[in-house]
Amino acid sequence: MEKIISIKNLNYTYPEAKTPAINDLSLDIYKNEWLSIVGKNGSGKSTLTKLIDGLIEASSGTIAVDGQEINEDNIWDARKKIGIIFQNPDHQFVGATVEDDVAFGLENQGMPREQMIIAVDHALELVKMSEFKKRDPQSLSGGQKQRVAIAGVLATRPQIIIMDESTSMLDPDGRKTVLNLVEQLREQQDLTIISITHDIEETELSQRIVVLNDGQIVKDGKPEEIYDLGPELTNYGLEEPFSSKLMSTLRESVKLPEGYLSGRELKEQLWKLHSNM
Amino acid sequence: MDKIILGRYLPGDSLIYHLDPRGKFLLTFYFVGIVFFANNVASYALLLAFVLFAVYLSKINFGFFIKGLKPVFWLILFTVILQLLFTPSNNPIWHWGIFTLSKEGMVISAYIFMRFILIIFISTLLTLTTTPIEISDSIESILKPLKRINFPVTQVALMLSIALRFVPLLVDETTKIMDAQRARGVDFGEGGLIKRIKSFVPILIPLFVSSFSIAYDLAIAMESRGYKDGEGRSKYRVLSWARRDNLTIIFMIGLTIILLFLRSY
Repeated sequence: MEKIISIKNLNYTYPEAKTPAINDLSLDIYKNEWLSIVGKNGSGKSTLTKLIDGLIEASSGTIAVDGQEINEDNIWDARKKIGIIFQNPDHQFVGATVEDDVAFGLENQGMPREQMIIAVDHALELVKMSEFKKRDPQSLSGGQKQRVAIAGVLATRPQIIIMDESTSMLDPDGRKTVLNLVEQLREQQDLTIISITHDIEETELSQRIVVLNDGQIVKDGKPEEIYDLGPELTNYGLEEPFSSKLMSTLRESVKLPEGYLSGRELKEQLWKLHSNM
Repeated sequence: MDKIILGRYLPGDSLIYHLDPRGKFLLTFYFVGIVFFANNVASYALLLAFVLFAVYLSKINFGFFIKGLKPVFWLILFTVILQLLFTPSNNPIWHWGIFTLSKEGMVISAYIFMRFILIIFISTLLTLTTTPIEISDSIESILKPLKRINFPVTQVALMLSIALRFVPLLVDETTKIMDAQRARGVDFGEGGLIKRIKSFVPILIPLFVSSFSIAYDLAIAMESRGYKDGEGRSKYRVLSWARRDNLTIIFMIGLTIILLFLRSY
């Protein structure tokens, strides 16, 4: 697998802070992978995204994006390859209408107007927001706003999309729509997704989960391996996944196989047990 | 907050809506200027006819314009009465102490009243038919010549459009903070002047703090989307000048000529 982001011995301490926000962190992220970074508040997740995009400068260590180590000179090139969707849709809107906002990134690249019109229409179509083109962002719902934010990122054709807790302010429906949309795009367009969250249930679509605590990686593995940690997850300020909690309650009276089972697997197990009775 | 009509945009579709906002913006200012040239009944009648014609063309319910007068009603009444009672005259109808009521005073106060009506109607027409972003685009393109003296026109325009875009968000934020403070027992609009002013501190400080955090988030989001300093950007929205805009200008020139003629008549 090809590496798209390679982080080596990264350190960052906020000015006036005593403890480092990122502490000697090394991580490789591969092309077309959906990576979730989880951890409690203050574990350094958001700092990591800002470091990757060069929005803040690391104290030491290196970050390479698409094979190129980022420094002051090439940061704008690296930024073109990365699109970030932030947490609060209200605070990331620049444009006065939906189409203006989607065009903002393209305007920054100096794209000619004719191409921009096509790109904006295409991006809005991908997120199914074409009919809202002329609308004022304030008149949209949270989920729709976040879809427009995604369109703004997609229009610039990045290779990496970072979602920085971008579904945390949406209702369950809006969250599902946004996540499924991103997953679809990842499959179609060879994108790499880095999703940052403190909600373990939101990682169900990811292929790999990294658990961050105090600016260090404490666990790195497939979702099953991470979910299997069960109660240990609470040490890192995370909640146990629902089915893992359910299983530990069931195990008191029912004999279940070892290890983590997803919702569907658990259901099948229970059916099996039921028919054996 | 929702009672103020002046400065609000009303979605619609008519000739006035399709005029180039730059032209509309400048012509509104121009019209406000020529209102002061009118000096007799005929010239005021002409300007009133023009404004009513423009209002008719906009297809906007006339009630909105009357509503637009409401916030300045007392100001108009005050000025008109002042003119009515304090215009010096040689043959007053009625005289008492410092107050004088005369025919000249009545005419002047009627003119003042007309000026208010004309200016408020035409500016309400501009803001009702032009979106804030169109107005900020017009300001940008009108200010463009200032680029030569190194005035940061694009940055000012961006600032203006961001400011406009955040007005409703900050209004929401203010109501939210007010409700939250009310729930904690802060009483707004009660007590003496000092007490009232003091009760606004618990709104202003959180509002400032949240503005800072919004500004920080927005700056980060803009930088991550490749915004450098306004140079080398292309523009998605462009204004287009059409034949109807030329016609409007010709119409305005015609109006000015008739006005100047009526004035000296």
